[in-house]
Amino acid sequence: MKDLAKQKQVRVKGEIAVWFSSLGLFLGLVMIVALIGVIAYNGLSVFWPQRVVQLKLDTEAVTGLGSRSKVAGIITSEQTKSLDKSLTNPQAPVKEWQLFLGNKDQFGFSYKYFDRSSILEVSEPEEIVILERAEYGDAIAYPAYLSFVNGERIEASNPNFNAALKALIEECRDRREKIRYLEFNEIGAINKALEKLRLEKLKIDRSNVQSPADITSLNRIENERARHQSLFTTLAAQARGLRDFQESSKLAYTLASGEQVEQSIGSIYSFYYPNQLGFFGKAGIFIKHTLGFLIEEPREANTEGGVFPAIFGTFVMTLLMSIAVTPFGVIAAIYLKEYARDGLFVRSVRIAINNLAGVPSIVFGVFGLGFFVYFVGGTLDQLFFSLRLPTPTFGTGGILWASLTLALMTVPVVIVASEEALASVSRGIRESSLACGASKWQTIQRIVLPASAPGILTGMILAMARGAGEVAPLMLVGVVKIAPSLPIDTQFPFVHLERKFMHLGFHIYDLGFQSPDSEAAMPMVFATTLLLILLIVMLNLVAIMIRNRLKRKYKTSTF
Amino acid sequence: MKKKTKKKSNPDKVPKRFRVTKRILWLDHFMNHFIVVGGVAVIAAVMGIFIFIFVQILPLFQGAKVKPLAEHPLVDSINEIIDFDLDEWAELPVVIRKDGSVRYLDLKGDRGSIEHNDVFNPGESLSTLNYNSLKRLLVAGSESGKFAFSKLNYRSQFDTASVRTIHPDIESSDWYVLSEKGESIKFVDYGEGASNKMAAGICVDSSGEQHVRAVTLEQKRSLFGGGGNITVGKRFDLTPDIDQEIQQVDVSSNGDLILVTSTTGEVFLFVFESGELKLRQRFWPFEGLDDKRVHSADFLMGDVSVVFSGTGGENRIFSMSLDSGKGQRLYSMTKEFDPLPEPSIDYYPGIRNKSFLLMGKNHASLRYSTTESIRWEQDFDFDIARGVIGEKYDKLALLDTTGILHLFSLQDPHPQAGLKAYFGKIWYEGQPETDYIWQSTGGTDDFEPKLSLVPLILGSLKGTFYAMLFAVPIALLAALYTSQFLEPKLKNFVKPTMEIMASLPSVVLGFMAALWLAPLVDTQVPSFLLLVIGIPLFTFIFGWGWLKLPKQVRMKIPPGFEFLIIAPFLLIVCYACWNLGPVFERIFFVVTNPDTGEQIADFRLWWPDFTGATYTQRNSLIVGFMMGFAVIPIIFTIAEDSMSNVPNSMRSGSLALGASRWQTAIKIVLPTASAGILSSLMIGFGRAVGETMIVVMATGNTPVKDFNIFSGMRTLSANIAVELPEAPYHGTLYRTLFLGALILFIMTFFINTVAEILRQELRNRYKTVE
Repeated sequence: MKDLAKQKQVRVKGEIAVWFSSLGLFLGLVMIVALIGVIAYNGLSVFWPQRVVQLKLDTEAVTGLGSRSKVAGIITSEQTKSLDKSLTNPQAPVKEWQLFLGNKDQFGFSYKYFDRSSILEVSEPEEIVILERAEYGDAIAYPAYLSFVNGERIEASNPNFNAALKALIEECRDRREKIRYLEFNEIGAINKALEKLRLEKLKIDRSNVQSPADITSLNRIENERARHQSLFTTLAAQARGLRDFQESSKLAYTLASGEQVEQSIGSIYSFYYPNQLGFFGKAGIFIKHTLGFLIEEPREANTEGGVFPAIFGTFVMTLLMSIAVTPFGVIAAIYLKEYARDGLFVRSVRIAINNLAGVPSIVFGVFGLGFFVYFVGGTLDQLFFSLRLPTPTFGTGGILWASLTLALMTVPVVIVASEEALASVSRGIRESSLACGASKWQTIQRIVLPASAPGILTGMILAMARGAGEVAPLMLVGVVKIAPSLPIDTQFPFVHLERKFMHLGFHIYDLGFQSPDSEAAMPMVFATTLLLILLIVMLNLVAIMIRNRLKRKYKTSTF
Repeated sequence: MKKKTKKKSNPDKVPKRFRVTKRILWLDHFMNHFIVVGGVAVIAAVMGIFIFIFVQILPLFQGAKVKPLAEHPLVDSINEIIDFDLDEWAELPVVIRKDGSVRYLDLKGDRGSIEHNDVFNPGESLSTLNYNSLKRLLVAGSESGKFAFSKLNYRSQFDTASVRTIHPDIESSDWYVLSEKGESIKFVDYGEGASNKMAAGICVDSSGEQHVRAVTLEQKRSLFGGGGNITVGKRFDLTPDIDQEIQQVDVSSNGDLILVTSTTGEVFLFVFESGELKLRQRFWPFEGLDDKRVHSADFLMGDVSVVFSGTGGENRIFSMSLDSGKGQRLYSMTKEFDPLPEPSIDYYPGIRNKSFLLMGKNHASLRYSTTESIRWEQDFDFDIARGVIGEKYDKLALLDTTGILHLFSLQDPHPQAGLKAYFGKIWYEGQPETDYIWQSTGGTDDFEPKLSLVPLILGSLKGTFYAMLFAVPIALLAALYTSQFLEPKLKNFVKPTMEIMASLPSVVLGFMAALWLAPLVDTQVPSFLLLVIGIPLFTFIFGWGWLKLPKQVRMKIPPGFEFLIIAPFLLIVCYACWNLGPVFERIFFVVTNPDTGEQIADFRLWWPDFTGATYTQRNSLIVGFMMGFAVIPIIFTIAEDSMSNVPNSMRSGSLALGASRWQTAIKIVLPTASAGILSSLMIGFGRAVGETMIVVMATGNTPVKDFNIFSGMRTLSANIAVELPEAPYHGTLYRTLFLGALILFIMTFFINTVAEILRQELRNRYKTVE
C-alpha cells in the first residue's frame, strides 16, 4: 500500500471514496457515544446536589404564582424560548430558566419556567435547606423552628438546631421501620392466616355432605378467626399509635415566598443545606442519594425514592430465566452436535433455531400469554387452586411465566453459542478420550463440556443480557407498575413464583409514559436508564471478554 | 460402542480392573437416551410456538356451525300470529298474536304457557301491530288513529340455590294520537333514543286515502329527577313529499330517522333535526334491476345501515355516510349479497353484532354485514314462516308454517373475522368509501370493529423502511471501512463498541427517542436536514482536499488512520450544521399566512403547507433514527464479518496486480461477500420489522396508510403490545392479535431463513476459493 502511494505518476483511484467510507464508522460511533453520554450525564446529575438560587421576580411578568415576589429553586435548564418564527415581525429571542421549585404542596407544581427578563435579582442564600419528604417531593425553604410534643421549641438560630433536627429525624426513621415491620410482617402474616381459614371454610361449605368432623373443624376455624381478628385489632391499634406519635413533633419552615409551613418530622426523610456544601459534602450527599436510589422502595407513584423492587425483580427474573434456559439449551446443543446425524433434517433444524433468535420478542410474549398464562396457568388454577377462583393464582401474569417466556426467547441464543463452543473442542481431544476407553457420555461429561464451558457461559451471559433488557414480552406476561410484595421474601414458602413483579425496563416505560407528572419523573427515568444500561453493558463486556480470551486460546490450540 | 459389544461376547478374558462397572454403563446408556429425548423435546418445544399460535387463530377462519337442538309446537295456527321472539337463554319464547295478546311458552320448566292479554292499555281496538326485535318493542295502531307501544322485556330471578327462572316483564305505554280525526292507522312504527322519541305511521282516512304522519313524544322532567308525563310534541305530515303509494314506514331505534318505502321500490329518507322533520334523500335501493320493488327494509343493529331485500330475494345494504358534495350524511349502497334462491320472507337483525338472518320459503341464510359474508345457509324441508337469532348469538330459531318451532344451536364466535376482514377493502359503516381501517374498540355497544391488518402491516413496513434508509448506508460504509481500511489495532476497539450498541435495550432507545430526541429535533428539523446533506458533502471535499496536499504531509498519516484525522473535523461540521439550521430554515422553509400576509419560517408549518401531509413531533424520522441504533450494529457485525472473511489471497492478488485498495474493496471484496452483505441486510430488516418498544414509545401509535416521513405509524408489534393486555381471552380481538403475531413470526422467520441459506452459500464459496 505504502509503495503504491509513493509512486508519483500513478493516481490512486478511489482515495476520496475511502475517506467517504470512514464517514459510516464515524457516524455509528458518534451515535453510540453521544447516546450513552447523554444518559450518563443526565442519570448521574440526578443525584449530584445542585445549588439553590433565590429569585426576586417582577410579579407582573410572572403568572401562576399569585402575588409571590420571591421564589427559591434549582435551575434545571436554561434555554431560548421557542417563539413564532415570524419573518415579518421578528421577535427577539427570549432566554428562560426552568426552575425546580419543590414545595409541590404549596404551589401545586414543582417545575416552572421564568423569562430571564422577569427575574430582577438572583442570590444564593446560605441558610436555605432542602427537605426530602415522604409526600409532595422536596421542600426548599428556610428553617424556622422545631416544636416538640411538650410544647418546647428550638429556633433555627439556636446552634443546637441541626443536631436536634437530625436526632428527631433518626428517631422517626426507627419508628417508621417499626411500623413497617408491624404492618407488613405481623399484620401480613395474620391476613395470610385469615385467608387460609377462609379457604378452609369454603372447602367445607362446598362439599355437599357435612360430617361431624367438618362441624368441629368449622368451630375451630371460627375460633381461630376470632383469635386472629383480636390480634389484628391490637396490632393495628399499636401501629396507629406509632403513626400518631410520628406526627407529634413538628418542623416549621418559611418558603422564600413568605408562607410558613409546619410539617411533622415523621414525613421528613432527610435534610441538607445545599449552598453550604463543599465538594466533599456534595459527594457525600451524592453517594447517599445513589445508595438510596438503589436500596429504597419507590414513593409518590414511583417518581421519588428508589428502585429496589425493580432491581430485585429484574434480578430474580433473569436468574429464573437462566436456570430454565441453560440446561435445555445445552442439552439441545449436545444433541445437535454430538448425537444427531448430520443431514438435511439437522441442518434445517439448525437454521430454524438460528432464525428463532431473530423472531421479534413480542411474538414470544404473545405465546407466553396464550400458552403459559392462560393455558398452563389456567389449568393449574383449576386443578390446585380451584377454591380461590375466580381470582386467578397462576392464571395471570407472574414472575414464573415471565421467566419461562424469556427463557424460550433466549434458548436459541444459548443453543447456538453452546453448539459453537462444542464444535470448537478439537477432534483430537475427543478421540484421545475415546481411545483411552471412556464412554461417549464420559467423554462429553469430563472432556468436552469442561473445554467448552467458557463458550457456553458466554452464550448464557448474552442470553441474560438480552433477557434483562427486554420489556415488550413482559408487558404481556406479568410485569407491573408497583408490586406490593417481592417475589422472594421471608413468608412461607419464601419463593412466590406466581407474584407479579417490577422490572427496570418496564419502570422506564411506565415512568416516562404513564406518569401523571412526567416532568417530575424525568430524573428518575434517566437514573433508571443509566442503571439498566450499566447492567447490560457490563454483562455484554464480560461476554465479549470471555469470547476474546477463548478465541486466543483456540488459535493456539488448533494447530 | 464397539467396545461394549466386545466385552459382552467374551467377558471372562478381560481382567477385572479393565471391566466397566454396571453403573457407568447404565449412566452412559441413560444419558445417551436422555440427551436424545431431551434435545428433540427442546427443539420440538421451540417449534411448538408456531403451532400453538397457529392453532389459536384457526377459529377465526371457520364459518358458523348450526346444529338442530329441539322442536316445540309453538302455536296452533300460524295465521293468528304476527311474530315471535326468544329470550336471552331461549327458554321462554314469546308469541305475538294478531289481537295484541302474547303468549310465553316455558320450554325449560313446567310452567306451561303464560298468557298476557294486558299488553296494551284497554279501550282501543287494534288495527295494526308491528314488532321491532332490536328493541323488543311491540307497536300497535288503533282504528281511532292512536298508537301505543309495549316493551316485551324479560327479568331473571335467582332463588336460594341460584337457579335461574325467567319472567316476562311487560312495560306498556299510554295511547297517543297519531292521525287526524277520522283516520285509522294502517301501519305504525316507533323508536326512542336518548334525545328523541318518534312514531310514524300510515294513516287511512274514510275515503281510503293514505297519509304518512309522524309525531314526537316529549317527556317533561319531573321535579324528583324521574321521568315525568309523556305528551305528544310536534306533529308532521310527510304526505306532500311522497308522490307514490306507500308500502312501509320504518323509524330508527334512535327515533331520528324515518324511512318510507313506496310500493314501486323508492325509498324516502326523513331526518329529524333541530325540531324539524325534513326529506333529505330519495333513492332506489334496487336500482338497475328489472324489478325494483322492495320486499322489506329494516335497520341493522346500530341504526347506521339498512338492509333491503328485494322481491326476488336480492339483498343489499345501504349505509349512511357523509357525502362530501352535499355536506350531508346520505345513504349509499355499501354491500351487496348474493340473492337468496327464492323470494325473501322474513328478516331478523342480530342484537349482539352486525349479523342478520334472511329467510326464503325453504331457505335460511345467516349473513354478516361488515365482511359481506354469508356465515351459514341451509335448505329445509319445511316452509319457514319466521326466524330469530338468539340474543347472545348462540341460538337460531325458525318457526315453520305448521306452527312448530325449530331450535338450533349456533356456534360462530368470530363472525367479524375472515380473510376479507383482515386483508380486504371494506366499506365500514359511516365511512365515505371502502377502506383499510384498524379500530378494534369503540365507545358504544353498537360499534363496528374494524380489523384490517393492512394499515398495521404498512406501518411496520414504513418504520422498517425509514430505519433501513438511515441504517443501511451507515452500517455498510462502516463495515467496509472497518474490514478493509481501518488499522487493526483500532478495530479491536471499534467492534466491541458497535456490539455494545446492539445490546442497548429497546426500551431505553424508545425512551430517548420520545422524550429526548423528539422534542430536540422538533424545532430543529432544518438542522437535521442540513446534517444529512452537509456531512457526506464535507467528507468528499475533505478527501479531495487531502489529495491536493503535498505528499510529505500525507505520508505522515499511515493508511488506516483516516478515521482519526477526519473525526474532529466532522464534529466541527456537525456543530456548524446544527447551528446553521435556523438560517437554512429562514431561507427555504417560509410559510406565508394567506390572511395576514405574515411570513413565518417554521418547518413544522412549511411541511404541511408544501406537501399537504401532516407533521407530528413523534414521527418516522425519529423512529427511523432510533431504530438505527438497533439495526446498524446487526448489519455492521454480519457484513463486517463476511467482508473480513474474504480470503486474503484474493485481496493480495488484486493488490499485486496494481489495483488500488478501493478498487480491491469494491471489485473483489464486495462481490465475493455480497451474499453475506445481503443476508446482513435481511437480518437487519427482520430486527426492524419486529421492533416493539421504540415504536410504541416514539410514535403516536395511530394507524396510518401513508409513507409520510413526518407522521407516525402503528406497527403490528406495537399494536400487539398496546392492545393484547386488554383483549378478552379467546375473543376475536385476542385471536386477531395472535394472527398479527403469526404474520410477524412468518415474516421474520422467512427472511432470516433466506439470509441464513445465503450465508451458508457464501461459506461454501470461500471453501472453493481457498
